[in-house]
Amino acid sequence: MEFAIFLQQLANGLVNGMTYVLIATGLTLVFGVLRIINFAHGEFYMLGAYLTYYAVSLTGMDYLMAAAVATLLVAAIGVLANQFFFWPLRREHEFTILLSSLGLALLMSNGGEVLFGADPKYVSSPFADEIAEFGPVIITQQRVLILLAAAVVLAGVYLLIRYSTLGKMMRATAQNPEGAALSGVNIRWVHIYTFVIACGLAALAGALVGPTAMIFPTVGNWAVLKGFIVVVMGGLGSVTGALIGGLLLGVVESLAGGYISLGFMEAIGYAIIIAVLLWRPQGLFSTARAR
Amino acid sequence: MFERRTVLTAALASCLAVATGGLALAQDKAPVRIAAIAPLSGPGAFDGQLAVEGMKAMAALINDKGGVLGGRKIELITYDDKGTPEEGVSAAKRAIDQDDVDLVVGGWFSAVALSMKEVTRDRIINVMTSSQHPKVTEEGHKYLFRLNATSNMMSERYSKFICDKMGIKSIAFITVNDDYGRLEVENYRKLLGQCGIEVLGNEFYNKTDTDFTTALTKLRSLKPDAIYVSAINTSQGATIYRQIRQTGYKGTIIASAGNMNPKLVELSGKALEGVYSVSLFAPDSENPMLQQWMKQYKSMFSNEPSFIGSLGAQAVEVLAGAVDEAGSARDYDKIAAALKGHPWKTLLGEITFTDKGQAMQNIYLIQVKDGQIVSAGS
Repeated sequence: MEFAIFLQQLANGLVNGMTYVLIATGLTLVFGVLRIINFAHGEFYMLGAYLTYYAVSLTGMDYLMAAAVATLLVAAIGVLANQFFFWPLRREHEFTILLSSLGLALLMSNGGEVLFGADPKYVSSPFADEIAEFGPVIITQQRVLILLAAAVVLAGVYLLIRYSTLGKMMRATAQNPEGAALSGVNIRWVHIYTFVIACGLAALAGALVGPTAMIFPTVGNWAVLKGFIVVVMGGLGSVTGALIGGLLLGVVESLAGGYISLGFMEAIGYAIIIAVLLWRPQGLFSTARAR
Repeated sequence: MFERRTVLTAALASCLAVATGGLALAQDKAPVRIAAIAPLSGPGAFDGQLAVEGMKAMAALINDKGGVLGGRKIELITYDDKGTPEEGVSAAKRAIDQDDVDLVVGGWFSAVALSMKEVTRDRIINVMTSSQHPKVTEEGHKYLFRLNATSNMMSERYSKFICDKMGIKSIAFITVNDDYGRLEVENYRKLLGQCGIEVLGNEFYNKTDTDFTTALTKLRSLKPDAIYVSAINTSQGATIYRQIRQTGYKGTIIASAGNMNPKLVELSGKALEGVYSVSLFAPDSENPMLQQWMKQYKSMFSNEPSFIGSLGAQAVEVLAGAVDEAGSARDYDKIAAALKGHPWKTLLGEITFTDKGQAMQNIYLIQVKDGQIVSAGS
């Protein structure tokens, strides 16, 4: 019986961890490629959840379809955010960009409160209350969907970065933006594509996690916080680091919450950040890069 | 040149006259200003919105009947306490020091009420609303009143019902990690223990948590007959009720006292069907004042009237009555004496205030049936 509970907590942790990975991958990409610390990242998560909600409740669209539509719409909004906030500031100091993104985050979450209302909403999904049993482990179909969809999408993103021309352009920009530009890489498009991928991933996370809890306009704060913990853990800019860091955080949280104390669960993320910054500031899974 | 100056002076003088005249006129009918301090952002934002809407509907009813003190309107000034003690304190300070309000209504969450009362201590009439922590009034002050029943009062009534009618032998709790939640667990451990219900465990969650599966997995593994959910905000509450069923728990769910509202029922779906709670507000009550307020509320807002809104309304209602009786919105000794002086007929029935400012209210047992909150005996 004890072992069954352990497996259950492990499964809970893996699912939560997978959503952290989805959120953190976009955050780490935007930093790694464009050197932008984007505090507004969580708001794209919030938008993803809300657009899914409205697509389902207003147009009566199928949940999976709605999630896809929301992801694409938010990716498009990401293009706008880049166009009006980040691209014009690309030559400014990193702090200017950081503050500008913080402003964008406040604008979006308060705007969301006005636009969507403060009342919590529920994204209804046909999988949310259906239970799947794997031996002693009980898990909703929605959570299985989170695991599968995230795995497929993340594998896609990884392959894209590794093998496609776009991916090579992104990596070139990450290594040296000016050198990349000189050898013919269109930095502007790299900016746009990076934001499309990052915002799309955040929105997908929102659309998938939406049905497991209630959504409210400030839910993005939570998302960006978890994202940052994972990114610091895995190493800023490292996609593999985000994957391992996210899953690890999810599992550690749920095991610590399950076996030590739940009050400890939230603190553990911060404790990890402090420990990592003290002993391995470049992140657990990243090789230090010269700047 | 000379001419222009006279014209200018004359114009200035007339301007001044209009301004002072206008001021004097405004002074005649200056509104009675009540600070409405509530959580308007963050996870508690929706509850704060319901609270303020309830207050606005009651203020509109009173203003339509001519206001208070012979024609002064009631004006509500809203402040956001974000559900945190620090912001609550700063909101109360702003209301008193900068905006010079006449009366303060606040304290929706216990943690906020407990620190806010120190700002208002002996300075201004402060009606605390939904907070349930006994210390709010036990360690209150001469101008402090609290409407909601304390968690002690609620839990005594509720535990009797749980012991007698629910037929459970063991129970586990999931509670919010703050003053209110810790007290709830302490109370029910004692009260339910007395009638032989075994308390198997408790899990505290944080106010910002959005996922409860870890805690619920732990509770489910204890195999309790019932899980008692103490959730003060709608958003977390609905998530917990759904996730209890999603983690495969099939036993009885008990909802904490005073935290049942139509939105919660809507959001929780079938996870809340048949679940009991206790409340001061039974929407199917026949009290004419309640009916009037509910009608007004529905004409002004799109949300369903809720318990939390009705408490806000009650705060405005008793304050208006007491201000009228005292003949002033600033003579706090008289207003306090009026409130404690006799029973008050309100939209939630007749209430009296103790010497410490604690309201004694009717407590109803309610249940969710076919997606509606109905009373199940009082």
